[in-house]
Amino acid sequence: MAANYWASTQRRHWQFSRESLNEVRQQLEDEEKTIVQQYPLPDRRLLSILFNQLLVKLGKRLNVKQQALATAQIYVRRFYSRVEIRRTNPYLVLATAFYLACKMEECPQHIRSVVAEARNAWPEYIASDVSKLGECEFYLISEMNSQLIVHHPYRTLHEIQDKLKMAQEDISLAWSIINDHYLTDLPLLVAPHVIAVTAIFLAVTLKPTQTGLQAAASTVAGLSSATSGANDSIGTVSGVPNTQQKKVQYLVSWLAEGEIDIKAVVECSQEIISLYDVWEQYNEKTCKEQIARFVKARGLDK
Amino acid sequence: MNGTNPPSSAATARALEDKQSLKRSVQAAFDETQDARKLPLNNGYTSKVRVLDRYEVVGFISSGTYGKVYKAVGVKGQSGEFAIKKFKPDKEGETIQYTGISQSAVREMALCSELSHPNMIHLVEIILEDKCIYMVFEYAEHDLLQIIQHHSQPTRHPIAASAIKSILFQLLNGLLYLHTNWVLHRDLKPANIMVTSKGEVRIGDLGLARLFYKPLHSLFNGDKVVVTIWYRAPELLLGSRHYTPAVDLWAVGCIFAELLSLRPIFKGEEAKMDSKKTVPFQKNQMQKIVEILGMPTKEKWPGLTHQPEYTQLQSMSSAVREAGQGKTGLEAWYWNTLKSTGYQDSPPSASPGPQGLDLLAKLLEYDPTKRLTAEQALQHPYFTANGERVTANCFEGMTTQYPTRRVSRDDNDIRTGSLPGTKRGGLPDDSLTGRATKRMKD
Ligand SMILES: Nc1ncnc2c1ncn2[C@@H]1O[C@H](COP(=O)(O)OP(=O)(O)O)[C@@H](O)[C@H]1O
Ligand SMILES: [Mg+2]
Repeated sequence: MAANYWASTQRRHWQFSRESLNEVRQQLEDEEKTIVQQYPLPDRRLLSILFNQLLVKLGKRLNVKQQALATAQIYVRRFYSRVEIRRTNPYLVLATAFYLACKMEECPQHIRSVVAEARNAWPEYIASDVSKLGECEFYLISEMNSQLIVHHPYRTLHEIQDKLKMAQEDISLAWSIINDHYLTDLPLLVAPHVIAVTAIFLAVTLKPTQTGLQAAASTVAGLSSATSGANDSIGTVSGVPNTQQKKVQYLVSWLAEGEIDIKAVVECSQEIISLYDVWEQYNEKTCKEQIARFVKARGLDK
Repeated sequence: MNGTNPPSSAATARALEDKQSLKRSVQAAFDETQDARKLPLNNGYTSKVRVLDRYEVVGFISSGTYGKVYKAVGVKGQSGEFAIKKFKPDKEGETIQYTGISQSAVREMALCSELSHPNMIHLVEIILEDKCIYMVFEYAEHDLLQIIQHHSQPTRHPIAASAIKSILFQLLNGLLYLHTNWVLHRDLKPANIMVTSKGEVRIGDLGLARLFYKPLHSLFNGDKVVVTIWYRAPELLLGSRHYTPAVDLWAVGCIFAELLSLRPIFKGEEAKMDSKKTVPFQKNQMQKIVEILGMPTKEKWPGLTHQPEYTQLQSMSSAVREAGQGKTGLEAWYWNTLKSTGYQDSPPSASPGPQGLDLLAKLLEYDPTKRLTAEQALQHPYFTANGERVTANCFEGMTTQYPTRRVSRDDNDIRTGSLPGTKRGGLPDDSLTGRATKRMKD
């Protein structure tokens, strides 16, 4: 982990406890009781899946790297911890977060191309006038207090993959698990290096069969009991194939050496596993309809 | 621009116009409902904080491509004085529009919000209001450009060696902080290095700064111009794509030299970008460096032959002597400079001595991989020898009183504002200086 994470605005201002995050959101909803009741929305994670897909689409069209999409997702999540979603046009917010993230991640896109692509993808929601997006950029930056530098787990993964002698396929799997964690609240709850370790841990345990979820879940349980430092409890975990046990043990001892909070890793793993559970309920059409209802009814697309 | 930002009368006129529009906008803002932030997006973004609710502008400091810098005081009981850097949006036709914030403004906002160090200019807050961005900084009474100019007039008289040592130490200390946090400044020059009335050095203007831990390839693309040409490192002049923190250390070397001689050490003429928008080889600038340091050699700088513009360099080689016979060019330059600026062998105008030369030579090292890092520079005997301590206040023990920053006051504004012609975009030369500045920055 880069030394500067500890002094970063990310750690100081955008890392919540689960309780405080719930509180913040509850307060937002309480301020907007009527519309919250009037326009029910799906699970936040399902919405995040949609948002991610929309961003990926923009990213592909404009050939933008994953890290910028990750930053955009963080911006969206931060923004919606400050502003009730039903007061906004999420499509505009996404396009704007994308535009801003590209500048911060050093792959700037012209505002006209972003608007053109967004309009191409979601014609009903994006005006041709670039000033709407420009205005939304002010809104985003202002709500985020200009705190735009984001630390991502990718870097930690990159730093430790060699130390752990990870196989290429494990690295790619860990990479995609990191991609997935942006669909949860984890980026607002834990430090990026904890996410990286979680992703590595899950990649190593999930990989061989890919039937994985159950196996991983029980490994999590095993890891949980290993937090006291007894490495061998991992060896007794059921559901983890023998070949993987060594890697897991190695990882656990590596974790114990560093000052990484194993409990946090366990919680993150659980969060990601339950994301994969929720994912099965995902229905793009329903999500879009629920958004369309409040955007159209409230004229937020104008 | 050439490193100076003199407030011209035309600029003052613009400042006035600006302030009037500022007042108008405040008026307009007051007319809106108290509950503006509750309105949905489509009704527009409205700032929760208004600049003029919190600050009173007392004068105009400087004008650049991005907008203007004002001096202000707090009206909500904030102590001290402030400098407000205002970024203006582009105009499309007659009306001001949101056109997207420039990447350099976004970087500056993000970096200033992220960083904090006693040798960095302190950001107080950022206000986004009425399509404009206001970055509010602590006010710094002086900057190195102004200090150097003060010592050039009416006759040249040296800046006290103890002051230079303190300035350099603080500058390097701030730079070490930036580099430890993976930030390259990329535009270090006297005008961007502020000094408070208490003699504390504050690095400012992060408009070109950027993070460098991002994948290497992104370190070059996008930005064509980096660092005002006089302070530009040789590897950049030679077209290097891998620029590193060493570019900032070169600039520190140039600034050190300028503090001693009161003139830019390598005052080249910039070759302008041609119509094809290819970046020209800055031959004249390279020439100025070679005149003092001698020709770089591949023996001393093994990476030299890999520099994209190496052939260009070879083409100028015949004109100049090689470095390395007897006193090097820099050594001669150093002692001549000390003499002509008026340093003596003993206090009160004692010279920075041989240690100063050694440090300077190691900062103005051609090979970026051998150039001192900020950390190494801070360990140099120039700072540490004889158990001397470097003063935290660069003015300590000095009798010189530096003039305060030139700020055009309201009454000046009113006077200039009433001149004929100012209402229509300022005086004739206004457009000229405006454009010249723009070219330098773009
Ligand atoms: N905090 C400050 N206090 C006093 N003057 C300042 C401050 N910041 C900037 N200035 C003045 O305004 C000038 C321009 O500001 P700077 O941030 O360097 O913008 P630019 O991008 O135009 O170079 C500086 O050279 C300095 O004279
Ligand atoms: Mg400047």
